[in-house]
Amino acid sequence: MGKIFDIQFMISTIPQIGSKLPVTLWIAFLSGFIALILGFIIAMIRYFNVRVLSPLCKLFVSFMRGTPAMVQLLVAYYGVPILLRGMNEGLGTRFSVNGIPAAAFAVFALSLNSGAFMSETIRGAMMAIDAGQLEACYSVNLSAGQALRRIILPQAFTNALPALGNSFISLLKETSLVFNISVIEMMAQAKITGSRSYRFFEVYIVVALIYWAVCFLMERVLAVVEEKVRRYERRAVK
Amino acid sequence: MIDVKGLKKSFGDNHVLRGVDLKVEKGEIVTMIGPSGAGKTTLLRSLNWLDAPDAGTIRIDDAEIDAARAGKKAVKRLRSKTAMVFQHYNLFNNKTALENVTESLIMVKKLSKETAKARGKELLDRVGLSDKYNAYPSFLSGGQQQRVGIARALAVDPKVILFDEPTSALDPEWVNEVLTVMTEIAREGMTMVVVSHEMRFVRDVSTRVLLLDDGQILEDGTPEQVFKNPQHERAQQFLKLAHLE
Ligand SMILES: Nc1ncnc2c1ncn2[C@@H]1O[C@H](COP(=O)(O)OP(=O)(O)OP(=O)(O)O)[C@@H](O)[C@H]1O
Ligand SMILES: [Mg+2]
Repeated sequence: MGKIFDIQFMISTIPQIGSKLPVTLWIAFLSGFIALILGFIIAMIRYFNVRVLSPLCKLFVSFMRGTPAMVQLLVAYYGVPILLRGMNEGLGTRFSVNGIPAAAFAVFALSLNSGAFMSETIRGAMMAIDAGQLEACYSVNLSAGQALRRIILPQAFTNALPALGNSFISLLKETSLVFNISVIEMMAQAKITGSRSYRFFEVYIVVALIYWAVCFLMERVLAVVEEKVRRYERRAVK
Repeated sequence: MIDVKGLKKSFGDNHVLRGVDLKVEKGEIVTMIGPSGAGKTTLLRSLNWLDAPDAGTIRIDDAEIDAARAGKKAVKRLRSKTAMVFQHYNLFNNKTALENVTESLIMVKKLSKETAKARGKELLDRVGLSDKYNAYPSFLSGGQQQRVGIARALAVDPKVILFDEPTSALDPEWVNEVLTVMTEIAREGMTMVVVSHEMRFVRDVSTRVLLLDDGQILEDGTPEQVFKNPQHERAQQFLKLAHLE
């Protein structure tokens, strides 16, 4: 163990660690997709103040925002099997706990977490649309559904896009927590690779750089999308 | 054409409309004037149920609605008879000028895209915006936006167009072009109810003036009658203060 920082070793670990990037991306994109749908549904429930459901959603969002993602992950990992076992005994259902891959718990917990954040973003963006837009819709006799679909939501999503992108990038990075429930994604692989050689610093640098590269790419994509959806807005000259 | 009976509306214990009765015939150009807070906007917005009155009935053409039992269907029917031009334009921000006009043609009247586009262009031509079909509202001047607003209202093919201070948010330089368009529409026989203190319009175009005060119609007559010979002292005061006499 001569060198303080072994750059050759570092480079040599890139393929191995990078090979788990697809797992990370899978978890991130699947969770992100579910989170977006969940966030949208919660936002609609709260926007229209649907009775019973609205306060429940509020409670859910408060809980998800007020507890660490790490804790949620562990609660899901240990809690869901207990819940299923309880259901099996109580209701006579026959869910198999062993059949569920660990990654499913990860997606479950992360999408609930991210969905809670996204719901607030979407709701806020909807509230920010001037009431005059909806009144104009009614004045030309569009239905509430048409108004929402054609006028309100497109504007709301445009306004929400930067914050949603933020949430997604956070989510992508939070996938690094799921090694705690024995999912072998990029972070877990880095730990394994590092422990073989006791060169942890190098491997963590590698993971950091890969995360950064992916997030950087995401930022670029989001910037392009935003440019496109915002074409109807006038920008002040600099 | 319009028949309003016993219209009442309050916000909390602020009685904004205190039993308004109003009949408007086809082709009339009715302008409403009156002090701030008199209830002009509220009365106008009641006519297409953007504000729901607490009591009274409204009939426009063959659509009738009673505040006591106003169902979704009745509201929609009432709204199909009117269109509105807003003080702050309220154009659909995410739609081009043309799309603003065609939106109701496609979604409500179910015209094909091509037919709607052709009709939309006709209407934009009519308000002098032939070169702005594809411009988004944020790229248009106030006067241009308001003319799109008028074209959007015309697209509904309404029995009545409701205008709420259509020029009061405009810089003076843009007021004329909007008034000109409104005057043309009036000359073509459209029934209009307009809240405005724009004297050129009130005096020269409108066929009838209502002076609202404190939730009631205080004066009702031709511009000549209302300005020269108001019946109530409060009306005289208002006309004097507003330099409208
Ligand atoms: N949504 C609302 N909630 C509470 N009060 C309202 C609301 N809309 C109007 N009001 C009140 O109703 C009264 C009449 O308002 P309205 O807008 O009809 O007056 P107006 O005659 O149009 O006045 P202006 O010339 O200033 O536009 C005012 O006292 C106003 O504060
Ligand atoms: Mg007003």
